[in-house]
Amino acid sequence: MKAFSYHRASGLEAARQQAATTDAAILAGGTTLLDLAKCEVARPEQVIDITRLPGLDEITVDAQGLRLGALARMARVAEDAAVRTAFPAVAQALSLSASAQIRNMATIGGNLLQRTRCAYFRDPASFPACNRRTPGSGCAALDGITTNHALLGTSEACIATYPGDLAVALVALDAIIHLGERQVAATDFFLLPGTTPEREFALAPGEIITAVTLPASRAARRSTYLKLRDRASYEFATVSVAAGLELDAECRVATLRVALGGVATIPWRARAVEAALTGREPTPEAVREACLLAMQGATPRPDNRHKLELAPRLVARAIETLLWEERA
Amino acid sequence: MPSVTTLLTLSINGQDHVFEAEGRTTLLDALREQLHLTGTKKGCDQGQCGACTVHLDGERVLSCLTLACQAEGRAVTTIEGLAGPDGALHAVQTAFLEEDAFQCGFCTPGQIMSAVACIREGHAGSEAEIREYMAGNLCRCGAYPHIVAAVRRAAEGLA
Amino acid sequence: MTPLDPTPRRGDAGDGLGARLPRIDGRAKVRGAASYALDHPVEGVAHAVIVQSTIPAGRVRTIDTRAASAAPGVLLVLTPDSTPPLRAASTWTGEAPTQPEYRPLEHTIRYTGQQIAAVVAETLEQATEAAALLRVAYDREPAVAGMDDPAAGEGNPLPPLAIERGDAALAFAGAPVRLTAEYRTPREYQMPIEPHGLIARWEGDALTIWEHSQWLDGMARTYAEWFGIPFEKVRLISPYIGGGFGSKALALAHGALAALAARQLGRPVKLALTRPQTFTAFGGRAATRQVLELGATAEGRLLAIRQRGCNETSVDGVWIEPLSSVTALMYDLPNFSSQQHLVPVNTVLPFAKRAPGENPSAFGLECAMDELAYAVGVDPLALRLRNHAERDPQSGKPWSTRRLREAFAAGAEAFGWARRRMAPGSLREGRLLIGWGMAAGTYPVRRSPGEAMVRVLADGTVEVASSTSDMGTGAYTILAQTAAAVFSVPLAQVRVRLGDSSLPRAPVTGGSQMAGLMTGAVDKAARAAREELIGLALTDPRSPLRGVANTLAVEHGHLVPPRGEAPPLPIGALLTALGRDRIEALRDTLSENGLTPEDRYRAFTTVSSMRPPTDGDYSMHSWCAHFVEVAVDEALRSIRLRRIVTAFDAGRLYNPKLAESQIKGGIIMGIGQALLEGGMIDPRQARVLNNNLADYLLPTNADVPSIEVISVGEPDPHASALGGKGVGELGIVGVAPAIANAVFHATGKRVRELPITMADLV
Repeated sequence: MKAFSYHRASGLEAARQQAATTDAAILAGGTTLLDLAKCEVARPEQVIDITRLPGLDEITVDAQGLRLGALARMARVAEDAAVRTAFPAVAQALSLSASAQIRNMATIGGNLLQRTRCAYFRDPASFPACNRRTPGSGCAALDGITTNHALLGTSEACIATYPGDLAVALVALDAIIHLGERQVAATDFFLLPGTTPEREFALAPGEIITAVTLPASRAARRSTYLKLRDRASYEFATVSVAAGLELDAECRVATLRVALGGVATIPWRARAVEAALTGREPTPEAVREACLLAMQGATPRPDNRHKLELAPRLVARAIETLLWEERA
Repeated sequence: MPSVTTLLTLSINGQDHVFEAEGRTTLLDALREQLHLTGTKKGCDQGQCGACTVHLDGERVLSCLTLACQAEGRAVTTIEGLAGPDGALHAVQTAFLEEDAFQCGFCTPGQIMSAVACIREGHAGSEAEIREYMAGNLCRCGAYPHIVAAVRRAAEGLA
Repeated sequence: MTPLDPTPRRGDAGDGLGARLPRIDGRAKVRGAASYALDHPVEGVAHAVIVQSTIPAGRVRTIDTRAASAAPGVLLVLTPDSTPPLRAASTWTGEAPTQPEYRPLEHTIRYTGQQIAAVVAETLEQATEAAALLRVAYDREPAVAGMDDPAAGEGNPLPPLAIERGDAALAFAGAPVRLTAEYRTPREYQMPIEPHGLIARWEGDALTIWEHSQWLDGMARTYAEWFGIPFEKVRLISPYIGGGFGSKALALAHGALAALAARQLGRPVKLALTRPQTFTAFGGRAATRQVLELGATAEGRLLAIRQRGCNETSVDGVWIEPLSSVTALMYDLPNFSSQQHLVPVNTVLPFAKRAPGENPSAFGLECAMDELAYAVGVDPLALRLRNHAERDPQSGKPWSTRRLREAFAAGAEAFGWARRRMAPGSLREGRLLIGWGMAAGTYPVRRSPGEAMVRVLADGTVEVASSTSDMGTGAYTILAQTAAAVFSVPLAQVRVRLGDSSLPRAPVTGGSQMAGLMTGAVDKAARAAREELIGLALTDPRSPLRGVANTLAVEHGHLVPPRGEAPPLPIGALLTALGRDRIEALRDTLSENGLTPEDRYRAFTTVSSMRPPTDGDYSMHSWCAHFVEVAVDEALRSIRLRRIVTAFDAGRLYNPKLAESQIKGGIIMGIGQALLEGGMIDPRQARVLNNNLADYLLPTNADVPSIEVISVGEPDPHASALGGKGVGELGIVGVAPAIANAVFHATGKRVRELPITMADLV
């Protein structure tokens, strides 16, 4: 790890100014930053610790919705009774993330800014080619082992998977990311790699996530997060699904929200599935057919074809679970 | 040159320790290399094994992904601080002994610190819950079933 | 026993062998007070960090050290150009070196992750940063990434491993039932939670090394030979080891570098490998591949097995993962043919991981037996009983003890195997497909000599000392129990010192031989000390018991006249009366192993004295039977274990509590092997991509179901002095095939390559 100077931010504005320089990094939970610094992927000269800034860790649930301060710890949000009732997908996504220790450390804002687990990205000494790390250097993953790489939202420049859980729930439930005054829809916050994979988030230099809000809705209240992985715990998702459902008086689908994790370069909103079921009666056949659209447009690679099969099935499982709950 | 050290005061196991640290020095390396509190172990240094688990203000965290500077003004508890001042073992330590919840013993300090927190958090209600909430502490000797038994036993004793 | 006499009688387990006692080293471990290699405080220590190659083959052309050397705190940069050669050491098998020199850093690159440089600095942070500043230029050459690389070819035949028994080709051709299948296992890594590292300190020409060690004497010899100093000038200290599983038996290149740097700097050096570096700084289990052809009668009686296998080795070394080790002896098999090739690839030389050979051998055979069971429509357990071998079919010798039938019976009963329905997919619970699978396992009894000192002190306590090591096996405890039994004292009165090369000698803690040989050595030394005590008590003029009786017994730490001629005398009181502060006896078991005192050094510092399981009149092995239940989500294909029952025969258990822990540990490592673990090798760089514990998946607590283990063993008088057979490696053998067979029973899908993941079941 390269040496850096440690600064405890005196205020949000000061932190923004300090963070605006190219060689500065914001430290919140530290679980991503220190990990990447040890891999030599992050090489900050200055680290700005914002964890002691007051007023940024509140969790508020009211009739309008949910507001999560950017510095709220994952564990606290996951355990919050009101969040669990009104936004179960959010609480479940957090509970299924990482480990109890990391959930005590990591913050909501920091969690969203996780970087990919692409092995080629994380090993600059062995694999100099990485467009995400060094624009224009190439992509070592394209011809490498791609079991954990993305099928959706990929480009010639990058096929790295977005690894997080929370963001998948946020994208499904139409969250808003607050960057101080500026607000960005969660669906717009995560950037497709395209030709500029180095730009991962809609975040200008010096901008700091201050809060995340989610509008209250029946689909949010009737939501779930499912995570599929080979290891029973403490593993990134092979496939994950966040889904929210609202039925109308005739038991047709009034609202459906579906997003996928583990299969795309960003938390992936599966709008084709939503559209196929909205307004329809969710018969088993209809659900199955709609879920087949989850991976529409996917580009599988030799090592990750199984996700083409598993993702639609997990979406179906999520919708079935919500239907079962709704009818119960 | 940013490689300057600052004088840091950390409260560890109820005692203040003053030492020179760099900004990048992790709490784990500070404990082990500077303060000679070597009960806390380095198993991966990447947040992937749980061997370095300590408590920060009573909550379990990974000391390998915590900067020493971040711990300033907060209460750090390590395995050395768990037993009573008279050397009496904590209920979780006793339960680990009785249930043979370790073999080589290397992951044990982290397991025990994690278990103490797991019980305090209210996550020791069933075997399944203990397994999930202790999943962040790897044990290569495979003492897991005995760790679960020890956490149950200690949780019942502390209840 | 009455309430007035709470002390156990001799012959009871009490605190002696066979008692179910907690670890005597446990208190130190739960307090964080057990001192592992890198925990030792050493004044003025400098920190070393290793740099590994990023290419698989070629040469280091140059290493630009300027930025690193100029970085703050840097004391020394070692590169192939700047590092003096050491003397070559003989091998662990006892062969003389073929070259005069040993270079821990070389220009020639044979695998990705080979160490090519080291940086030493005042602090760990400084050394780490400076190591990343080295600029290495390579001349790259073509490489072979693994045995499936088209460039790897067939490999080289290994004639000594070939077995031809009967006429397997003919018998197979004529067999009414024939099946052929290929089974594969990937590179697997030991991954103890304590990463490798050491502290080296020179005082004059004496070298002290604090390093985790499964073999104090073997590693001390290597360091002595490397640096051209007498064995006695090296002191290796390793009281606690954070897990080994085969990976901590040898002195390794980074150890040489740390000692070299310490000598060059004139100050102690601490070197810790990073977790990713532990994937290539030493060898894990070799990847294997085997084709099995089974010929059987319509009733499932085996007629022939033909085995054609290979394992990976390095381009410059030989590692054999013997694939026939279980195949050759598990069943009554008249015709057997086995051949094995070694495929050189650009990897670090593979090495031992828990049950090398037996483990992949059993994976192939025990999956194939399940396939045969389905081919002939016979219950898998019944099929195994039908093919039970009454004697070792390979050596022709009788088994010393083989309670495999009892293990099958006890395991099946506890599991409820009789209720199993044969058809795959016949058990389900809602969305879950339930599968029941079973497999057998075995591990040979290996024997080497041991040596121990037992001391009785004037305060009545007993000390045991040996250089053998306890990496979680329970050595401290069972050796204390051994001495406690001889003197009939409580365990609390016994102190055990292990893990220091200055203590009496011991061979490698590997091959599951430690408990058997060391209890034998400690028992011998303790009896010798006891005899001396009794002799002094009967004859020494200062003894209160002189002339009282012709013999004395030792009970509850007292010398007891047999017919109550005098009150029992505490051992400590006798020593005080004699004016002695101790009685001690140093004994070895060289002669029991057909060796002489002249063989002592070689016997303990190489494995040349290790006796195979068929040395003597018997064939000696431990046995086990695993029964597992898996649940596979019908749609999502995720595999979770629900319960495991294992019955095993490891002879007499010196401490059942600890032996059961070790068996469970083996089973859990087997769960990882079956469902999670496998090196992912980049085909271009031959690099282990998942070289960390988030991507190389060890089982977590959440992956492990309830596990019941049942000992069906009885003392084996041929296997060891006190009747035990090997425990440490047995538990893992057969777990992966039992799980694979259960997955087949659940899903109807036969997966013949490990690990078995969701991707395999889609």
